[in-house]
Amino acid sequence: MAQGTGGEPPEERARRSVARMLGVGVATLVTLVLLAGWGSLGVFILEPGEAAVLLRLGRYADTRTLPGLHFSLPPPIVTRVVVEVDEVRNEDFGFRGKEAADMPKVAVQEATMQTRDNNIVRVGFAVQYSIKDAFHALYRVADRDAVVRDAAQAAMREAVGKETVDGVLRERRAALADEARSLLQAILDSYGAGLDVRSVQLQNVQPPAPVREAFADVLKANQDASRMVNEAEGYRNTVIPNARAEATETLESAEAYKAETIARATGEAERFRAIAVEYRKAPEITARRMHIETMESVLGGVEKVLVDPGSAGLLPYLPLNLGGGRKP
Amino acid sequence: MKRVLRMLVFLALLAVLLLAAGNRGWGPFVVTEEGTSKVVFMLGDVHDVTQPGLSFRIPLLQSVETYDTRWLYLNTEPLPIQTRDGEELNVDNYVIWRISQPVEFRRAFRSQMGNAQARIDRVVRDDVREVIGRHTLLEVLESKRSDIMSEIAENSRDALLAEGVEIRDVRINRTELPEGTEESVYARMRTERERLAKKSRAEGDEKARRVRAEAERESRVIVASAVRDAEITRGEGDARSAAIYAEGYSQAPDFYAFMRSLEAYQSTLAERTTLVISPQSEFFRYLEGAGPADRAP
Repeated sequence: MAQGTGGEPPEERARRSVARMLGVGVATLVTLVLLAGWGSLGVFILEPGEAAVLLRLGRYADTRTLPGLHFSLPPPIVTRVVVEVDEVRNEDFGFRGKEAADMPKVAVQEATMQTRDNNIVRVGFAVQYSIKDAFHALYRVADRDAVVRDAAQAAMREAVGKETVDGVLRERRAALADEARSLLQAILDSYGAGLDVRSVQLQNVQPPAPVREAFADVLKANQDASRMVNEAEGYRNTVIPNARAEATETLESAEAYKAETIARATGEAERFRAIAVEYRKAPEITARRMHIETMESVLGGVEKVLVDPGSAGLLPYLPLNLGGGRKP
Repeated sequence: MKRVLRMLVFLALLAVLLLAAGNRGWGPFVVTEEGTSKVVFMLGDVHDVTQPGLSFRIPLLQSVETYDTRWLYLNTEPLPIQTRDGEELNVDNYVIWRISQPVEFRRAFRSQMGNAQARIDRVVRDDVREVIGRHTLLEVLESKRSDIMSEIAENSRDALLAEGVEIRDVRINRTELPEGTEESVYARMRTERERLAKKSRAEGDEKARRVRAEAERESRVIVASAVRDAEITRGEGDARSAAIYAEGYSQAPDFYAFMRSLEAYQSTLAERTTLVISPQSEFFRYLEGAGPADRAP
């Protein structure tokens, strides 16, 4: 205002001052609203499983991981990037989804590995990983997916290269997955990738198609071998009880014989002793009686020819066919 | 007082606006984000290389270029290599590298990523060929794999450091045998499996036969020792009975002979026996004579 204010009427001055105050008030209000609006840009909410990396003027300031409401200075002073940290990412190698029968060429290539004994195997596997350090994951390594894919293959190949083909296909599978997991974790850590390898799972581990039959035959041979052994064990399990049964029979029959013989001997000896006692009382008559009784019973049943030795001239002719058709 | 306040508000507003501009590469504020580095040029000369955070420049006089300083991934083409023991091998590897010295990098490659990648590929390729060529196939596959990889990385790192490139890792992610060799490996695997199958069957047969033979032996031993024990038992029985007979009969040996003979006659002279006897025998004593003469001859 160029003019002096002295000449103005008081009501005019009052109106001016009200308008001026109004103007200041509006300006202040607008400024405050703008400030509040700007400040609210620094307010954000984290869902569970999310992390926010805060950069102050481009430089790392803080990582917020707790779910809920957070405050920071608004951009452009503090900028933030929110990432899913708990989300488990999956990468498949050497197979695609569930298809295994006719894999595309690239999958076969991924799965083809060499073992320590210079055999070739096909190992399909899956890697699960998540972000353990949001800042490192965002600002230390570019092209995360490609790095994980190639590092995982390198790790698995290194692990398979330490095993024999039989180890990979059978007895050392769990150890193999474990080894690959820790190798991959070590590789990623050496890049400072901020990733956590949750698990490495072997899927669909098998010998290459041209030699699959030969491998199957080895399994079959093992089964054949154990079948043969089982049959032999079965044979053994019947033959030995049979032998024991036979042995028991032999022993028991011998015991029976022994008891029988001794019993008979005892009986006969006792009988003899009893008869002998009576004999001693009247030897003559007892002997005679026994002799006559015996002769009676003996001669009662046999053919008899009585020949008087006193009658000389009688040829003691023995009719050999006597006895009724007895063969000579 | 009011003026000062107004001035401050104005300056703050200006600063915010300039910062926002700085984020986009305009104005006097240079905001360097994590994972990058900025080179500030003063009329074409390098004036400053920034760290993450805030720096300043003189607008119009000083220009800025941004470089990615994160670890970068480069997949090299697979290349056939001969190992020391003459095996052919297709080796595929990848390189983890970064721009460590933006100024040198710029000088060497004129800031062209493609140029840098081609150069790294060439250097790593040569090192891979040289180092693997000094090792046998077995060493590459297993025992010295990590040593080989770190040696390659070391060599490549030394070669490229002067060009502002830092090699972190050269890693063999795939080794493949060439077509023809693969077939011969399959043939070898097949014969090896056949050998194992034969061995397994033969061993099964061996074990089965051993089990059978042992069972056979064991059962025969069981039966034979039972027979032995049985004979001993029978012998005991016979011996005991002989003793009992002897003890019983020895009390009247003559009478025993008499009685036993009579028993023997009875059992041996069966029905179909023909006896030629003299009537003068004791039994027929009374056959011709008469009367019980107690005075026998």
